[in-house]
Amino acid sequence: MKILIIEDEKGLRESIEEYFMETGNICETASNYQEAMSKVSIYSYDCILLDITLPGGSGIEILKYLKKNNNSDGVLIISAKNSLDDRLEGLDLGADDYLVKPFHLSELRARVTAIIRRKTFNGNNQLVFNEINIDLLAKTAKVNDQPVKLTRKEYALLLYFLANKGKVVSKNAIAEHLWGDGMDLANNFDFIYSHIKNLRKKLLEAGSNDYIQAAYGMGYKFTS
Amino acid sequence: MKLITRYNRVNLLTTVVVMLITGIIYYQAISLILISQLEKDLVVEENEIFESVSLNHRLPQVFKSNDQQITFTEAEPGSVKRRFINTIYRNYDNVKYAKRHHHHDEEEFETGRGLITSVTVGDKYYKVLIVISTVEAEDLIKIIFGITAGVILLLFVTLYVTNRLLLNRLWQPFYDLLRELRFFNITDNKDIPLEKTNIDEFEELNQAIIGMSTRVKSDYKELKTFTENASHELLTPIAVINSKLDTLIQTDSFSLKQSKLLSDLYSAVSKLTRLNQSLLLLVKIENRLLESNEHIDLKLHIQDMLIQFEEIFLDKELKVSSDLGEKELVTSTYLVDILLNNLLGNAIRHNLAGGEIRIKLTDELLVIQNTGATEALRHDEIFTRFHKSTESEGSGLGLTISRQICENLNFTLNYSYQSPYHTFTVNF
Repeated sequence: MKILIIEDEKGLRESIEEYFMETGNICETASNYQEAMSKVSIYSYDCILLDITLPGGSGIEILKYLKKNNNSDGVLIISAKNSLDDRLEGLDLGADDYLVKPFHLSELRARVTAIIRRKTFNGNNQLVFNEINIDLLAKTAKVNDQPVKLTRKEYALLLYFLANKGKVVSKNAIAEHLWGDGMDLANNFDFIYSHIKNLRKKLLEAGSNDYIQAAYGMGYKFTS
Repeated sequence: MKLITRYNRVNLLTTVVVMLITGIIYYQAISLILISQLEKDLVVEENEIFESVSLNHRLPQVFKSNDQQITFTEAEPGSVKRRFINTIYRNYDNVKYAKRHHHHDEEEFETGRGLITSVTVGDKYYKVLIVISTVEAEDLIKIIFGITAGVILLLFVTLYVTNRLLLNRLWQPFYDLLRELRFFNITDNKDIPLEKTNIDEFEELNQAIIGMSTRVKSDYKELKTFTENASHELLTPIAVINSKLDTLIQTDSFSLKQSKLLSDLYSAVSKLTRLNQSLLLLVKIENRLLESNEHIDLKLHIQDMLIQFEEIFLDKELKVSSDLGEKELVTSTYLVDILLNNLLGNAIRHNLAGGEIRIKLTDELLVIQNTGATEALRHDEIFTRFHKSTESEGSGLGLTISRQICENLNFTLNYSYQSPYHTFTVNF
């Protein structure tokens, strides 16, 4: 996939770039409004990560420009502004998603993957990874065409892992993904452990390979 | 003591004292004048006697006349010293006079002013006593005194009533201002109005209060803006730390010690994030930036939330019982969510393992009760910023945010403790 990262904060931009950089992915970056505009007007991307507050202009203007030109690029707004109005304005203008800073890179990746999936696999709701087959519409999973009964959280977890294949995903990121705002209540991470244990067990029982590995006690990795 | 009461008291007391003193002086002055008048009359009478004696060479005939009595008594020559006296004499005056003065006694003694003098007729020396009744004079004094007393009383009443009415009216702007001050809310956008008054002092007070409130509000606004900006500025570095940590754990294999350190870092960063977001949220709620009018089925909302928390209830072995009636709110779902999340979150976080949570919803109130520490929390402290129990993992802003939300929605949020339940009540 081809991704444009429009973000003025160097540290964040580099981290995102590095996290998305892998074989098959092309990452480009823009650090200000002018640079971003020149890139989006020439090239097309699968997904654009768009910061709202940029030197030289507003990300909202870039979004308006994209939509005016019927650009089909997916747009994910990454903003420090966490207000309902900003969020609604962004989504109303045609952004696909809105992620508030600070975020985990794995969360960003999951969101970007979801956007690209929606854009590129039009009508195709199957997500296939080796022997695992996921029906995104029915929210069910199969291993070797055998249905695996997953709970809502286990299903969400599996999708999250698949979006972050080969990456170590921290427990914090998983907890925030699964519980959102209630996350600080689940601070001992026992929940995560039991969910992951159950997911792994179900997949293994259905005959899948053992993909989920604990990573040094601070996270998990879905190996490919 | 009210200013008016105090003022009235002093004012009236002074008036009474001054009036009394005036009355006494008045009385004395009139008495003196009247007595000197009587004495003149006595001297005139004395002269008449002397003239009569020198003309007729005998004692004059004494007539019983109006309140006047003259008696002659023989005395040793030179034994009588001329002087004025106060005396009592028997009035042989007509009955009509007695009746008019309600004198029921037939033989009434009256007070009188007398002059003792002497006269020599031939070789006989007489002591002369001339007495004039002072009753009339005393009557006059009584009337004067009565009128004075009446005037005092009238003045008293008038002063009291006018003071009451006038002062109440005069102080009205003051009371209006006081009411405004009492309802002054720093987070409100409502300003203190300029009261219409033509009293300079109140005008000045009003101006001063308006000036003060404007200054306080602008300071507060500045502080809020600062908080908001500071929190915003913090977001980017936190985002960088977060992303760098995410990147760092992708690199190599870590030792147990390193991964423990990384876990701690993650926890601290996520706590920092939550704290920062809570601060931003609080500012936004205070600025009323999150208001909207959505119809919310509160019962359904709470049920949803209970499902969300189900795993946590199970994990902590909490018994949750709910008695939910129908209640519809028209407000922001977002705010209600935060409020419920905070209150329920607290009930979970500060609960005992195997404890209990009770939720009750009626048309008037929402009650969330939980077991926990066996002593009551400090009412005055729990709603202040960054107040939290030492073992709490929260931001210390949850209840502050909850209360602010309730204030915005015109609800009240109260805490009480009755063993074993800590109770938070939202009155709609």
